[in-house]
Amino acid sequence: MHANLARNRLIHALIAICVFFLMQSTVFAQTTNNHEEQALSIEKQLLCPQCTNERLDICSIQICIDMRKEIREQLQNGRNSDEIIFYFQNRYGQRVLADLPRSGFNIVLFGWVLTSIALVTLGGGYTLFRLNQKTNIDRN
Amino acid sequence: MNIIATLGSASLIIAFSCTVFSLAASLIYFRTQINIFLSLARHSIIATAMLISFSLLVMAYALLSNDFSIAHVASVSSKNMEPWMKWASIYSGQSGSLLFWTWALSLFLAMFSLKTLPKIHWGAPHAIVVMALLLSAFLIPLIFFTSPFTVSTITPEDGRGLNPLLVDRGMLVHPPALLSGLVSTSIPFTLAMSALMSGRLDSSWIQHARSWALLSFLILSVGNFLGAWWAYTVLGWGGYWGWDPVENSAILPLLPIAAFLHSQTVQLRRGIFKGWNLSLVLAAFALAVFGTFNVRSGLVASVHSFAQSDIGPYFLGLLGVISFISIALLCLRWNSLKPDRDLDSLLSKETGLVLNTYILMAITLVILGGTLFPIFSELIQGVRITVGPPFFNETTGPLWIVLLIVMSIGIMLPWRKTTRNSILKRVSIPLIISITTAFFLFILGIRNYIVLLTLLSAEMVLLVTLREFFLGGKVQQSISDQPLFLSILKLFETNQHRYGGYLVHIGVALIAIAIISSYTFQAQTRQTMLPGESFNISGYQIKYEELFESKPGINGVSKEILAKVEIDGKRLIYPGQRLFTNFPNQPVAIVAIDGNPLRDVYVFLQGWTDEGMIELHVFVNPLIQLLWFGGIIYVVGAILAYTPSTRSQETVRHGKIDAR
Repeated sequence: MHANLARNRLIHALIAICVFFLMQSTVFAQTTNNHEEQALSIEKQLLCPQCTNERLDICSIQICIDMRKEIREQLQNGRNSDEIIFYFQNRYGQRVLADLPRSGFNIVLFGWVLTSIALVTLGGGYTLFRLNQKTNIDRN
Repeated sequence: MNIIATLGSASLIIAFSCTVFSLAASLIYFRTQINIFLSLARHSIIATAMLISFSLLVMAYALLSNDFSIAHVASVSSKNMEPWMKWASIYSGQSGSLLFWTWALSLFLAMFSLKTLPKIHWGAPHAIVVMALLLSAFLIPLIFFTSPFTVSTITPEDGRGLNPLLVDRGMLVHPPALLSGLVSTSIPFTLAMSALMSGRLDSSWIQHARSWALLSFLILSVGNFLGAWWAYTVLGWGGYWGWDPVENSAILPLLPIAAFLHSQTVQLRRGIFKGWNLSLVLAAFALAVFGTFNVRSGLVASVHSFAQSDIGPYFLGLLGVISFISIALLCLRWNSLKPDRDLDSLLSKETGLVLNTYILMAITLVILGGTLFPIFSELIQGVRITVGPPFFNETTGPLWIVLLIVMSIGIMLPWRKTTRNSILKRVSIPLIISITTAFFLFILGIRNYIVLLTLLSAEMVLLVTLREFFLGGKVQQSISDQPLFLSILKLFETNQHRYGGYLVHIGVALIAIAIISSYTFQAQTRQTMLPGESFNISGYQIKYEELFESKPGINGVSKEILAKVEIDGKRLIYPGQRLFTNFPNQPVAIVAIDGNPLRDVYVFLQGWTDEGMIELHVFVNPLIQLLWFGGIIYVVGAILAYTPSTRSQETVRHGKIDAR
């Protein structure tokens, strides 16, 4: 009776240990996978500091290989995406940011975009409206 | 003395003399009105083309005979290059590409002189002046600043070889197509300038400019598609368009040319938008010259930077002169560019076509701004700001969607006017089908509204265009009593321009679907592996078998490192890298693609160790092959639109204008 009880307890304990380790390994695998996905997501937000318009995730030159390695190290040390991107921005300047910040001198470029669209919309719209209005006046 | 170099230089100098003579003869014609001077001027342009062709042949001979005393030959060719690869050596490097540019320009202008010039008595002398000035402007740097026939003081034993990025079969057609496309915009430009100079501002110039602009549109499009294909298969980053400054320069002239092809039909039919049409072709050529400046200025770093030199300021000056003269002439003639009549209604095909051109020009301005901003920021702030792909995607993306929507509605609109109810009736069924599809995609888990909108609008374009084919086929069937399919094919015979154009629209819609799908749903991973190891991506098992090397020993390739990779235990592919003897720091990817119509498994060998460990970069690109299929449909449509049909030839022969 006692022997059976002890055996059952042992089996339960072994199962519990196995489940614990399984859970731990799953958590570890998830963390690793999450880190890899996070690293890839960070790479896509950065550009190669030496090439033109080449994203970090697809660049093959040595500096980019080193940067990718550093991203993974920093993720393992508990830094988040924003901190890592900020770190590389401080190190290489704004040119490593794939997404152009909508601030500072860059406002000129976004202003150009808005002006271009406004110019075409208003200029084109006015021309069409005037051509159409003249027709209506003629009809009247 | 090097006879080959002397022959090449001499033919360029005589060609320049011919352009000067042509200019002088046409100016004398202006004063005397004696026809012989006009004829002499015209034939001098043709002679110039022949002389530049001769200099190109001389260069080809120098390359084939390994004449390394000529600096250009030594810098872009080597003894172990295959003869056919030396075609690419002609236009690689600064002076070679400029020689090719000028040669292509002279050929286009000679064809124009033979084919079109005799038909435009109102503007022939003006056109010759423009052509002679253009040829001179490109011959001057070729003779005085960067001659391809410069002889080195020391003759090397062997040449350096072709830039590794150019050692690819695609390079035999992509740069010539793109350069020819850029150059071809000079013909509509010449016609527009002739119209402005002569004051003949009716539709005469457009009747001739249309077919040349179509040719330009076709060649530029082919050049851009081939460039995208080259980037996809050679650069190893899993994509085909990176908003590189030089890529932008190639697409910029295409947009105003496409806009002109839509807008000119409105002028031909209704006599409106005269100034707008002139502005579009003038802008297209100015942007083509901007592209030339952009590649050669050294101001932008690019994967195309093999043509950089210090003659950038010359082209900047040329661009300034062309822009100034174009704008000044437009301003001078502005009062003569009033419309012959007004719009009958805003609900008309005229509005749809012109809205289309406005959106294309807005896209042009946005891309131009993004391309110039790094230079501008450096000039003002002293810091070069990089404008990455996200900027271009975010700013032009919504504009492309609006363009697709306008395309779909524009096709359904009739000329002159219609009613709201009529539009609603035509639009309702395609719209309901498209919204239903978008709804199902939403249920299936696609939540990105940009993706849904793009797919919805591209499907609208597809449906309304197919509807046009169906309706046209029905009408044709009632006349010819043939099966519907044959009747639809017959449409291309009766109205090649119109239905060719519709095929281009179908191509554009398919391309839009491919771009948004491959961009949004792309999966990628990077894995370090030992032989025998495997991993999974998007349901595909990728197994690394072994690493090996080969030594082709041609085209400057020292060796190729290749990895044997198995996909799903069935298919073998061999990604690798090609190493070059004279360019040790410039390896080039050998991309391996396992493709089917639904997706490409794109494998790139990123790195390796002597022990056989490799790093693979794998992408799964959904629907990417739709991009190439859409591209083929687009190009076929453009060819059909360009090739005059029997009916339209008869129409022209009878002096009528085929306004489609």
